[in-house]
Amino acid sequence: MLEYALLAGLLFGLYYSLVGLGLNLIFGVMRIVNLAHGDFLMLGAFAAFWLFNLFGTNPLVSVLAVLAVFALLGLPLYYLFVPRLLAAKDPEMLSIILFFGLSQVIEALTTIAFGTSERSIPGNVLGSGPVRFLGQSFPIAWVVSGMASGLAVLGVYLYLYRTRLGYLTRAVMVHREEAVATGIDVHRVSAIAFGVGLALAATAGVFAPFMLGSVTPAMGVDINITSFAVIVVGSLGNPLGSVLGGIVYGISLMFMQSYFSSWANLLPYLLLIGILLVRPSGLLGRQVRRA
Amino acid sequence: MIRNLAFGVFVGSFVAITCAARAADAPAEIKLGTLYASSGNFASISMPVHYGLKLWAEAKNAEGGVFVKAFNKKIPVKLVEYDDQSNTATAATLYNQLITQDKVDILISDSGSVLTSVAVPIARDHKMLLIDQTGTGANFFTKDNPYIALMSDPVSSIWPKYVADFLTKDGPALGIKRIAILYSTNDFTGTQATAVRTFIKASGAPVEIVYDQGVPTNTTSYNVTINNIMAVNPDAVVELGYPNNDISFLRNLQDSGTKFKWLFAIYPGLETELLVKNVGAKGLEHVFSYVPSSAIEYKPELGMSLADFHAAWEKKYADAKVEFGFNSVAGYTTGLVLEAALGAAASLDQLELRKAIFGLSGKLKTLDGTFELDEMGAQIGEITPLGQLESDGKDGVKFVVVYPHDMATGRPVYPAK
Repeated sequence: MLEYALLAGLLFGLYYSLVGLGLNLIFGVMRIVNLAHGDFLMLGAFAAFWLFNLFGTNPLVSVLAVLAVFALLGLPLYYLFVPRLLAAKDPEMLSIILFFGLSQVIEALTTIAFGTSERSIPGNVLGSGPVRFLGQSFPIAWVVSGMASGLAVLGVYLYLYRTRLGYLTRAVMVHREEAVATGIDVHRVSAIAFGVGLALAATAGVFAPFMLGSVTPAMGVDINITSFAVIVVGSLGNPLGSVLGGIVYGISLMFMQSYFSSWANLLPYLLLIGILLVRPSGLLGRQVRRA
Repeated sequence: MIRNLAFGVFVGSFVAITCAARAADAPAEIKLGTLYASSGNFASISMPVHYGLKLWAEAKNAEGGVFVKAFNKKIPVKLVEYDDQSNTATAATLYNQLITQDKVDILISDSGSVLTSVAVPIARDHKMLLIDQTGTGANFFTKDNPYIALMSDPVSSIWPKYVADFLTKDGPALGIKRIAILYSTNDFTGTQATAVRTFIKASGAPVEIVYDQGVPTNTTSYNVTINNIMAVNPDAVVELGYPNNDISFLRNLQDSGTKFKWLFAIYPGLETELLVKNVGAKGLEHVFSYVPSSAIEYKPELGMSLADFHAAWEKKYADAKVEFGFNSVAGYTTGLVLEAALGAAASLDQLELRKAIFGLSGKLKTLDGTFELDEMGAQIGEITPLGQLESDGKDGVKFVVVYPHDMATGRPVYPAK
């Protein structure tokens, strides 16, 4: 029981890392809170669902389409909303209000378009049969989703630490005004980061039917709560802190389900309260300012 | 002769004038206040019920309205409807609004126990009869509250009776001795879990409960739980959840390659179309569930037959965004009971309506079976039989009723392979 919970927690942890990653990247670069994050994840899930149902597209192929579409969608959305927000006196608070509104609009439109029922993709499209590992057996869909999440996290690491654009992005994360002063086109860098953030959320959405059982237009709120727990535990503003936060969250969730199942839904709140009391800057908090 | 004629004319005129006066007093419409959840956790059980009720209202209005005995004429019905978005706080505000601002004639709760729970005290405080569509939590019904009547589902405390009876009476002969219970922690499924536990313990049968755990209603991954249940080696597993729970549980079960020898879940029976879409027919094969009214051809004495209702549903909601199933029948049944009650009530006074509804108890047969209330307003007449889902040879599933024996259409497959 213990080994199973631990290993399942690691798989889920990788997935939850991806769930929180886009939100943290956007906050880290722009210091705005994208409360529509869960809804972009939901849109990614519905995109994968419809691509599979209409054309039989394998979700692993859908990921590529979703990545491209949402990254491109992020650019106009950035220029529509974010520069105005950043020019305001309190962009963080205003962003919460603005993206909450956007979240409601997305949920309402998706409900009108697709209805309220649960939707999912058969688990066997990612492979058949369970995978045995260290004497434990896991659904192959979990393993594939976990690995894909790991690859996405690796991609973000390479983007931030091995590309020129990544260096510029980190410069903006450290100090936006100084980045402007040194001649960095912060809007271009931020717009790309915004697009990448949305693409990461949508990518997590592609795997949501396998990791979360089913998807509905209303799932965004729960995803947001989970995402906040993940990134606050890891470190708010440090995208790679999401990995640690995700793994802590995933393992904690599986242990809660094993030993205190009735209370498992309290986990995000318990983690949030605990980390804010003990280490408010998150487990990797120091690196926020040294990004 | 002339005196008799004059008397007749007088009496006739009096009756005509009285009737005319009553008709003149009649409202232009009967306002039915109700809530629905177009989004959130309960949307998938709320919308089918709401659409079923709407379908009834529109069908009646197309005929000129429902016959209201209190005014001796047909009066159109108007649904005053608000979206609570599956939020109990929003629902509480809207229930109050329906009563105090909209001044509805009849108050109808949203679907399910969670969104009905907040309506129960509000209706009671305002002395409004709560037409409870599918809120089956047993604690809603108390002897000191005359302001509630459950329309379309049996109360949760008796709903799983046939499940428990099967396990305790037929189970031991099949080799069922160890039972696991997994439930979502809400009124609907929590009460059913308590009922299963109580029935099993009271039976004195040689079976024991070896696993008994609750999980939050928003649980989306069950693999760890499935692994833990497997560790206690049960002969039968009773999983009680809402649609999202059942979908996740059954998908996780299928993906992990785990097979329980005997598995019961609620929604494979109640919302079969939805479950087939999400889990697939193979994932539902051999699963036990309630055999819903949408799968049994009860002979209704009022309203459409099941086939006609299904056809009307498919015609009206052709976009298939809301699936036909048990809950759609439940909403339609609510309308039928109201129709019968309005046709019998002497006035629109809330306690008169209650009297009329209770007067139908045990007499009215709808698509949900026999409508029967206990003294507290809990539905006790629409108990669903226990069935097992089997492949229909195509891409769907069909029900085999296995309990009670007098309704059985086949024998259970045990252990499931």
